[in-house]
Amino acid sequence: MTSWIQPRSSIAPDARPRRSRASGPRRAGRPGSGQYSGARLHGWRRLTPYPFVAPVLALTVLFSVFPLVLVLRRSLYAGNIFDTNLRFAGLANYRLVFATGGGHALIVTAVFTAGFVAVCMLAGMAIALLLDVRLPGLTAVRALFVIPLVVPPVATAFIWFTLFQPDTGFFNRVLVALDLPQATLSTPGTALIAVIGFGAWQFFGEVVLLYLAALKSLPRDVLEAASVDGAGAWARLRRIRLPLLRHQTALIAVIATLTGLQTFTQIYILTNGGPQGATQTALYYVYQEAFGLGASGSVGAADAMAVLLFAISLLVTIAQLVIVSRAQRAQAS
Amino acid sequence: MSRLPLAARIAVYFLVALSALAVLFPLLWMVASALKSNGEIINPRSPLIPADPQWSNLSSAWNAAPFGRFFLNTAIFSAVTTAGQIATGMLAGYAFAMFSFPAKRVLFYLVLSGLMIPFTVVLVPVVQLLADVGWINTYQGLIVPNLASALGCFLFRQFFLGTPLELAEAARIDGASEWRIFLRIYAPLATPMTAAFTTIAFLQNWNNFLFPLVVTSSEKLMMISQGLTIFEGQLNQVSWNLLMAGSLIAVVPVLIVAMFAQRKVVDGLTLGAIR
Repeated sequence: MTSWIQPRSSIAPDARPRRSRASGPRRAGRPGSGQYSGARLHGWRRLTPYPFVAPVLALTVLFSVFPLVLVLRRSLYAGNIFDTNLRFAGLANYRLVFATGGGHALIVTAVFTAGFVAVCMLAGMAIALLLDVRLPGLTAVRALFVIPLVVPPVATAFIWFTLFQPDTGFFNRVLVALDLPQATLSTPGTALIAVIGFGAWQFFGEVVLLYLAALKSLPRDVLEAASVDGAGAWARLRRIRLPLLRHQTALIAVIATLTGLQTFTQIYILTNGGPQGATQTALYYVYQEAFGLGASGSVGAADAMAVLLFAISLLVTIAQLVIVSRAQRAQAS
Repeated sequence: MSRLPLAARIAVYFLVALSALAVLFPLLWMVASALKSNGEIINPRSPLIPADPQWSNLSSAWNAAPFGRFFLNTAIFSAVTTAGQIATGMLAGYAFAMFSFPAKRVLFYLVLSGLMIPFTVVLVPVVQLLADVGWINTYQGLIVPNLASALGCFLFRQFFLGTPLELAEAARIDGASEWRIFLRIYAPLATPMTAAFTTIAFLQNWNNFLFPLVVTSSEKLMMISQGLTIFEGQLNQVSWNLLMAGSLIAVVPVLIVAMFAQRKVVDGLTLGAIR
């Protein structure tokens, strides 16, 4: 299941590897007619594909595409959540976002995501490199690093919450034993570090798995040749493995970034966006304005912030597509 | 590769053990705290491991909130949404991979756009839509928006692109219907993909928190994650042991599933890489 970097994962709709059958006369006459790959059906059977694709299409349009249009439009209108007669408000909602701490939320998002990605990538790569060493027993250990990834974030958030308790929490017990000041979630800086550490703890197993898959795809003969030529482990890592993994590294970083931008549950339970908004990310801001604050929240501001969040995610996704296509071109040549 | 010197081998094992311990520590802390007495919980000098494990904490926690109901709701939600995501994703992925038909490109890009629109961005309008049709606080409101997974469709399409078209051609000549060709020939071929996607989709649906949080407020519909937050609100400040016991109750079933389906979980998580 490591096909994710192979040419097959192309997003082009005509990615089926061509075989003799499809190069018939009908196809040959249509340049760029890749969409005709796959079986051409005849008679009534021509209608078969539509019921097959209808459920996913209907649900995607109804619960993704159409709501996106709504949110883009609504971000320009004033009115509350159940208001039917909306008034065009221009960029008022966007101004409202920045007047109500949205700018700070975007900064927190940037800091959180940067920290989250950095910790996940460093820890994930380090552990993947360790587990990639061919020694007995290490494959079995791999599963341990996946555990945080599959357990409910609400439960783990409560665990981390108790770890940070003053006096009785584990971290503060250690700090007290070392004669250091206690670190609690009521300090803005500590709270932000705590959600970064907690978020990364929960997710970095994914980075481990992706790096392990990527490391397995490296050409063994090149590494062994380098080894024979006297390159040490560190030199092989720096000069051969990391350069060969650069596309995968970029992709994994993109995945981690998208996950960081979407982090909600961990923050909701551990710090509730506080103290003083220190851990209020863009997504948390959307939640607060739309649902968390009740009547005093502004759905317009939530919509506007959601649009900003979408713009950021889209940029990251476009970066991902560029990386994939570059990697494919590099592989093809 | 036993060419590694002994010292290096020991170092690798040591570092792996150390990082595994660090990663698992919060969970061990949870187990220890769940079995402590109230006195041990509030005493900063009590040993990390409870001297006299209070197994009764588990039953106290279980009885302090309708956990049975929470589990039932979570199981229903996860089973139905996962089944839906597999059915809809496999059908569409199959059609996009195996057939050529007018408007295929446009329709495929439409599904693909679902992959690029994070659910959190459209959360507010989706909740408004559900409110418009009176689906807030209902099972259908929880389930229907989660029945399709663009990722699932994409993954199954990837899979079926690698299967031969000739099987279908032969079956067509023999007079089999398209539906039968899909169900009897190609769907079984996809079993490894289905298994990997099932485990990962099921775990994700099981752990889903934000969507149920904004669509339900009734305790009758709550899933285990949301139920835990209600449970926390009912506890007083020193009942960390009961909170940890509740968390333990929520974590153990997932751990058991993940342990038995270990390989499939790893496969599924690696699949998600094309997100």
